Amino acid sequence: MKRATPYLLLLPALIFTVFVLAYPLIQNLFNSFYQVSLVRGTGGWIGLENYEKVFRDSEFWLAFRNTAVYAVAGTVLALVVGLAFALLLNLKLGRITTVFNVIYTIPWVISPVVAGFTWKWLLNDNFGIINHWLISLGLIHEEITWLGNPDTALLCVAIARLWQFYPFAMVMFLAGLQAIPEEQYEAAAVDGASMFQKFYNITLPNLQSVSAVLLLLGILWSFNDFNMVFVMTRGGPMNASMVLPVLVREYSFVFFDLGKGSALSVIIFALLVSLSFLYLKALSRREPA
Amino acid sequence: MKRLLALLFLLSLLTVSCGKKHDGIELQLWNFGDLPALIEWVRSRVDSFQAAHPGVRVVQSEKSWNMIRELLYANLTSGTGPDVMNVHANYAAEFGGAGFFTPINTFEDFEEVKSLFEPGLMESTRHGNNYYGLPCSGIAFTLVCNADLFDAEGIAPPRTWSQFREAARRLTKDTNGDGKTDQWGLVLLGADRGSFSYRFAPFLFKAGQDILTDDLTKVAFNTPRGVEALRLFVDMHQVDHSITPGFLAYHHSEVNDLFCSNKVAMSIEGPWFRTIVDQKSPGKKFYTVPVPVPDHMIALYDSLPTLQDMMMYSISAFTKHPQESWELMKSMRTLEADMDWITKDLGGIATTTGALYSPEAERKEDLALYRRELRFARPWPPHPGIISIANNVITPWVQRAIVGELSPEEAMAGAAAEAQQILDGKK
Amino acid sequence: MKRAAPILLMAVIAAFVLLPILWTLSTSLKPLSEVNVHPPRWTSPQMSIQPYIDMFFFLPFATYTANSLIVATSATILTLVIGSLAAFAFARFQFAGKDLFLLVFLLSQMLPGASVIVPLFQLLTEVGLYDTLLGLTLTHAAVLLPFAIWLLYGFFCGIPREVEEAALIDGCSRLAALRKVLLPLALPGLGATALFAFLGSWNEFFFALILTSSDTTRTVPVGIGLFVGEYTDIWNQMSAAAILFSVPPLMVFLAMRKTFVKGLVAGAIK
Repeated sequence: MKRATPYLLLLPALIFTVFVLAYPLIQNLFNSFYQVSLVRGTGGWIGLENYEKVFRDSEFWLAFRNTAVYAVAGTVLALVVGLAFALLLNLKLGRITTVFNVIYTIPWVISPVVAGFTWKWLLNDNFGIINHWLISLGLIHEEITWLGNPDTALLCVAIARLWQFYPFAMVMFLAGLQAIPEEQYEAAAVDGASMFQKFYNITLPNLQSVSAVLLLLGILWSFNDFNMVFVMTRGGPMNASMVLPVLVREYSFVFFDLGKGSALSVIIFALLVSLSFLYLKALSRREPA
Repeated sequence: MKRLLALLFLLSLLTVSCGKKHDGIELQLWNFGDLPALIEWVRSRVDSFQAAHPGVRVVQSEKSWNMIRELLYANLTSGTGPDVMNVHANYAAEFGGAGFFTPINTFEDFEEVKSLFEPGLMESTRHGNNYYGLPCSGIAFTLVCNADLFDAEGIAPPRTWSQFREAARRLTKDTNGDGKTDQWGLVLLGADRGSFSYRFAPFLFKAGQDILTDDLTKVAFNTPRGVEALRLFVDMHQVDHSITPGFLAYHHSEVNDLFCSNKVAMSIEGPWFRTIVDQKSPGKKFYTVPVPVPDHMIALYDSLPTLQDMMMYSISAFTKHPQESWELMKSMRTLEADMDWITKDLGGIATTTGALYSPEAERKEDLALYRRELRFARPWPPHPGIISIANNVITPWVQRAIVGELSPEEAMAGAAAEAQQILDGKK
Repeated sequence: MKRAAPILLMAVIAAFVLLPILWTLSTSLKPLSEVNVHPPRWTSPQMSIQPYIDMFFFLPFATYTANSLIVATSATILTLVIGSLAAFAFARFQFAGKDLFLLVFLLSQMLPGASVIVPLFQLLTEVGLYDTLLGLTLTHAAVLLPFAIWLLYGFFCGIPREVEEAALIDGCSRLAALRKVLLPLALPGLGATALFAFLGSWNEFFFALILTSSDTTRTVPVGIGLFVGEYTDIWNQMSAAAILFSVPPLMVFLAMRKTFVKGLVAGAIK
């Protein structure tokens, strides 16, 4: 009985995970080797043909590059902003900090779909408030077509996502900051350390494990983030902001080629698994208390 | 205590999920379309159907256009979903061909019902030897011209491509003297790939240009005529700068806002335009004219085809009540029901012959024009892959040419090559 | 005086952070003809709360809100219960395959929604849970579990074994020790996890859209999406719905803030 206990405790969670992970994964794996297409009909085994089609598709490589940039740069930036805000909030400035704390966390509470639409309207070239301000301040002469320009579209989506995600990092960092024992700073002060040295030698190392977790989760979640890109640009203009999750939808529900969509899903999964594996290996394993 | 709460909640869930059983026949009607007037119309048709068929309950759901393909595919492949739904007529090839829709020519009174509709429109629901739906709302793409701007400039709506280009050029200006253009001749709806392709295709058709060969096996649009159609837009954007610069990000909403605030003079639209303009600027005046034709084809102005789009009501192949579904569909497509599409603004044009040539139709603004355009209009070729070709091939290549990344020749050649791959099943 | 500079900086930042929300608020009070005009304005002559009223007539938002509440609360409770059991197993036991199981939970976050949706859809349909609140709740719980387990694992690790062992020595059974000793200490951690779970479910759009179909099961995010259609975009009512819809999670967050932070400090940050 004792030996079975942990497995019994895990059982309910495992059942759920099986349905959300194992079953769809197996289905995708299965479909990826068959021709499952509304247009060409469901046919037989075609081996690696779906995978070949994906790798031959220039849209795939474009989406891959975009997703990597969006996920990595976006997450790193969110961590930087989150840390900066956390440091600000950690200054002992009295009760007003609470007000700011709440305000800074609000973007996290907004539905991603609403956030996407709102940012889309802020960035509208003719009717958006951002262009209006930039022109009034004389910073730009003509309206910038933020979402209509292939060069700026992905950046704008990334900014909207940053706005939504930084509170998560900020809250984690703030908790992390507050968990650093005061004695470490006091000892450093006795040794005559400067503020920068304190930050570099005490604050950052203490935040290492939080940062590691945030980085992994942030990249993982951004990689699979469908809502923001879809709502703001649909992957346009001209595929400039196409990312892998939106591409899966393209294959599966616009082309209605589920074989190809499944192959892409398997590729994405394999990619993320390898990434996480390498990442976790590089970190030391978490030990129970 | 917590456990008790959890139990209570799960119980409440169970009751909610259980409380949906219904005795008798229940039909699911999915309505894709969000105009409040349209939703009202469907409701009234459903009410009159239920009054005439007491044993049948119709559950009407509004659905978003945005995810129509996911919803339909997921539901239809699982054998669930609606019994009756309204979809684009060109889904007949895709979904009908794949066996997801019930062919309606199998019903007894089909021929009688079929005779109600404009023949050309009815044909659009056909794929192979079967008909897959009853036409509901006809759409012909036309050019809308902002009356305020055209009248102020003193020019008439264009009929030829040269006039079109000239009008756009003249109506692109800096109205407040601050050195920046703030009014443009033409706006294109570039953000939605499907919608964009629907705005380019009419120009191909008006040039007498086909998209695919008649046997649907080969691409047909990569010809000098096709290139000329593309060059028209390329020159307007690259040389005249008469197309709104941000068009790649525009949906209907942005187009509407620009038009209503007099920042653009022309747009390529359909019968819904009156309704959405009225939502923002009730009564705003604009001229509706046929899509312009190439200069050398002006003699055929009145009979060259534009792009036709159409909605149809279809029956799922997985319905458990095909006969009742057919009855419901018929009751939504009676002459009386169709007259509402004449007298009210529901975003499309009536499709029955009776309604289109009724006295009320003669009195309706622009209806004669739409009626004539619909008579000659052609839909997208009925190949199952045509939506992929329109969305994922034609739109990106055309857009890239317009923004100057490629020449029109390169773009048409590239699009033709990729489309051919789709036709050959290689993509 | 030294405080003024950072406070000023924080105020400026706050203004930027709130910009999108303030703009949504402004849009929610305008008539449709005054939304998106040139030049853009924060206020307009005919502002009123009319959109807030109209939205309830356009779509049955009362139903949608009730649905969102039921689903989010139930999914949260389910996630907490099942997640706690799993996290407890990880934190207090050594057993074969432990690392593998941890990995499995991590991996389950790696398939994009579009890949999962069709199999999930077919599965729910087979067991008759399509278009039910229960089906959606179970789906949300499944999606929220991995992260919840991760969080709770951290919290439980942060509570020294000695506390339970002391209780065991005093004669409590294992279960009683869990209930009387561990849970109260883990309350902040549970609170934090509950907040994450609630927010995740409340704002979830993609699965809710595909896995529900009728008005009676629809949740608010999907309802909000209906304001934006092929031909009509009722921005003002949509903004009103968005503002109203953000209030419950905000209130939950405000109520739980102290516990939440305490929980994070105590546990996940080790």
